[in-house]
Amino acid sequence: MAATLCGRLLPKAGWLPLTQSVRHGSKAVTRHRKPVHFLKQKLLAVTEYIPPIPAAPPGALVRRVRKTEEESTLAVLLRKDLETLFKECKMIAVVQNNAINAEDLLQLKHKLKRHNISIKFFPNQVTRSFLNNSIYSNMLPLFVGQTVIFVSKEPKVKEMLQALRRSPQMVLLGACIENTLLSYQGILNYSKLPSMTTIQGELVGGLTMMTSQTVSMLRHHPAHLSALLQQYVKQQGSGDATNAITNKDASTVQEAAA
Amino acid sequence: MAASRGAVVLKTVKKIIVQFCPFESNVRSTREFLIMVGSEKVRGTNMNCEVITAVKHDRSEPTIDITFLDGERLVMKGSKLTTQEMLSALQTRCSAKDPQAKIGDKK
Repeated sequence: MAATLCGRLLPKAGWLPLTQSVRHGSKAVTRHRKPVHFLKQKLLAVTEYIPPIPAAPPGALVRRVRKTEEESTLAVLLRKDLETLFKECKMIAVVQNNAINAEDLLQLKHKLKRHNISIKFFPNQVTRSFLNNSIYSNMLPLFVGQTVIFVSKEPKVKEMLQALRRSPQMVLLGACIENTLLSYQGILNYSKLPSMTTIQGELVGGLTMMTSQTVSMLRHHPAHLSALLQQYVKQQGSGDATNAITNKDASTVQEAAA
Repeated sequence: MAASRGAVVLKTVKKIIVQFCPFESNVRSTREFLIMVGSEKVRGTNMNCEVITAVKHDRSEPTIDITFLDGERLVMKGSKLTTQEMLSALQTRCSAKDPQAKIGDKK
């Protein structure tokens, strides 16, 4: 094409055309895919069809609200059980079990049944939800991991400790005895407490100790004097002959008087 | 979650003392570690190994004190550690000691 153009457009020598096509372009209808002219490409790009964005389906943009799971009825039952337990039983001990054997568990149960202590298993979630709403909320951190509850109506701590000593896998964490939360050391101290009657006796004795002391101090001198005089009379009556005894008596009486 | 690459082999461990205060809030990992170590399988690997638990109430940190057969002690303070970390630390040390003993025996 350049050659044909050059032939027509350069009639006189030395006259350059305004435009010169460098490439040896192909014809309009080709067998291969002819590359689109740049200007046409630009136009096509600018006038491209942009489809409208479809709106999101109604369910997608709604906030994901966590369904408040309804408590299963079993959990409700267990919670009621727990409530009654806490109301009835004076002593509730929390023990962590590190994989106790079945036979060991049976033996432990047997030993504790003798003293009316029963072993209860509750799922942690239920106990936690119950404790959250009750006054025993300070027991919450105890219920982590595998825990077992020992409940009994009477606080028989010594027997429980003895039974637990046999099984090293059960670790006593804490107890709620008569609505007071006790730690391990607290439980040990509680077990060493004497019974109510002895404590009452000790208390009464302690209170009356001061008054009895004053009374005895007041009575001390005349009592001593009367005792000495009695002895003097006895010895006067029995040993009249021996003067040494009377002399001794006189000296003791003088000492007492002083 | 329970145990990575099998349970811990306690053949080289002499004693494990776990001490914590159950009323604190940072004892969860220590207690879980205790459960893992006290489980039947793990205890079955070495019946001579004693697992002793001390329950205290003095707001002290939960600690795990492990004594190995060759006298080495591993003390882990569990308040900021997870159970997995503690278990893996124990596992690596046990396995590090164990093959040495085995290889020594074989040779």
